[in-house]
Amino acid sequence: MTEKEMALQNGAAVKRLSRFGFSEKITLGLGLVLLLLPLLPGKYVVVVGAEIIILGLFAMSFNLLYGYMGEISFGHAAFYGLGAYTTALLMRYFQATGGEVGYVQFFFSVLMALPVTAVGSLVVGFFCVRLSGIYFAMLSLAFGELLFYIVFSWYSFTKGDDGIQGLLPPPFFQDVTHYYYFSLGVVAVATAVLWWITSSPFGYTLRMLRENKNRAAFLGINVRNCMLVNFILAGAFAGLAGALWGPFQRSVSPHLLGSMNSGTAVFMTLMGGAKYFCGPVLGSIIYTALNGYITLYTVYWPLTIGLIILLFVLFLPGGVLSVVDQWLRAARSSRLSSTGRALPSGRKSSGGA
Amino acid sequence: MTFDLSSFLLQLFSGLSRGMMLFLLSSGLSLIFGVMNILNFAHATLWLFGGYLTYTFIQLFAKAFGSTVLAILPAIVVATGLMFFLGVALERFIVRRMYARELPEQLLLTFALILIFGDLIKLIWGVENRRIFLPIEPLEILGSFINPYFFVIIGSGAGIAAGLWWFLHRTRYGKIVRAAVFSRDMVSALGIRIPFIYAGVYGLGIAIAAFSAGVFLPIMPIGLGVDNDLIIQCFAVVVIGGFGSILGTFVASLIVGIVYSFSILIWPDGALAIIFLILVCVLIWRPWGLFGTEMRY
Repeated sequence: MTEKEMALQNGAAVKRLSRFGFSEKITLGLGLVLLLLPLLPGKYVVVVGAEIIILGLFAMSFNLLYGYMGEISFGHAAFYGLGAYTTALLMRYFQATGGEVGYVQFFFSVLMALPVTAVGSLVVGFFCVRLSGIYFAMLSLAFGELLFYIVFSWYSFTKGDDGIQGLLPPPFFQDVTHYYYFSLGVVAVATAVLWWITSSPFGYTLRMLRENKNRAAFLGINVRNCMLVNFILAGAFAGLAGALWGPFQRSVSPHLLGSMNSGTAVFMTLMGGAKYFCGPVLGSIIYTALNGYITLYTVYWPLTIGLIILLFVLFLPGGVLSVVDQWLRAARSSRLSSTGRALPSGRKSSGGA
Repeated sequence: MTFDLSSFLLQLFSGLSRGMMLFLLSSGLSLIFGVMNILNFAHATLWLFGGYLTYTFIQLFAKAFGSTVLAILPAIVVATGLMFFLGVALERFIVRRMYARELPEQLLLTFALILIFGDLIKLIWGVENRRIFLPIEPLEILGSFINPYFFVIIGSGAGIAAGLWWFLHRTRYGKIVRAAVFSRDMVSALGIRIPFIYAGVYGLGIAIAAFSAGVFLPIMPIGLGVDNDLIIQCFAVVVIGGFGSILGTFVASLIVGIVYSFSILIWPDGALAIIFLILVCVLIWRPWGLFGTEMRY
């Protein structure tokens, strides 16, 4: 192994998010798998698949804050739930006035989640971006719980603990496979936008904030504004994911905003690998599929999932992708040295990646 | 809703005892975070586990002694002791591996513990709520009927608070623990075995939680899912009081307990919303909490 490769492995460079190649290949590969998933026999796999897609977008929006900006939000589900309730309440309104939700009205309901959650995350973010580290996490948790209890107790508007039921999408989307492809399309567009954001100068500014906020400020970057813009973006994408969830499940409940749901985003991101663009999606596949299939076999699924998570966190630090990436890197460097292509001095080698 | 003296007293006492329970839970949380930098999200689940354990021992001892009242104290002592060793074992085998990791990975680990212990409770004790009934006559004070057991709770809570203060400020081990909060490296450089301190603190935190669960069994039924709400409130308490400050945790527990029990009168569904409103205000105004210091992140 050359010096530069050593430096790449040991230093901050390992933390780089979009290593051209690996991340892109995995993202396209996952996209292909999700595109072909409904070919598998049975409806259940499609149901689980739709959950994977929606929760994957939710986790990716969380990773905009955690993986790129380096701040942990424990209240991210608040925006997910806010989006879900926006769509649900609009659909409920259209149902009350027209009897059934038309296609235009349905798309309108889903898209309205974006501006509503953007405004919501502007308000919350305005305060959160003033803090960092554990205080950022705690303030986001507090806002999330505050929103949860407001939705929970405002019975006349949100139906409280009962939630809102009977959210039927228009006839074409009532078929689960059709809804699956609709969600996949929306999430694919969102993923493309996220990719564009994270590989733009703004995305690299976020990475700089993660590494050192003071240095970024010295370079003339308005740290709070950048964090706020990112917070709003993350909130809006979470809201879009939530908007897809309501019509898929035909109902929304306050627990979508709860701290446990915020935890889900964190877990999926960590299991997949927060340092990679598509890590959250892979995490969503692992977590949701585990949830979906273990519940079929045992009533003690929390115990099983708990043990699996325990093994994941103890033996796969940095998530699945991080370990795979390290394997590939080790394999490549050993292949290079065995074919004699790597220069023995190490100085002139261009290194891996 | 009338605000006469009797209902005021009743809410005050139930608020104080609730505050005591929050304190007993949060002090362990705060201590563990202060010494080891671990946010122990599984704290309330272990609290619940301790509660069920105490319940089982009360049942066992009640058969042996022929009286529930006599069985309570030994059951609490045994369950607290067992939970201490469970805490030490958890620290030695699992939590210890997470010290070098980042906060979210610790969260993931403690979440796994929540799932595992939550399900173990379901496996062992089933899904029904558990409660101990004590033959206690309510006491009449200034026209209101108050369960005298409130005094037991408030007394034991205050006793643990005083004992913890004495332990931390007057004993050698307590001083080592406080020194470890301040600077771990320096303490280990002085030749003190840090792993030993860590395991002890984790065990102590869990033991205090188990104790509070046992003490509360006669007035509060325990059941699955109670822990989820409780852990978030404990974080509210720890943050309002300030990380690592036992005094802050004590004051914040009383504030949260009393505010909660009075806001239940005014806005039953939104009592917890008010707690989180306070938390938001404190975090915006003084992120390091009422009694915390700014230096610790």
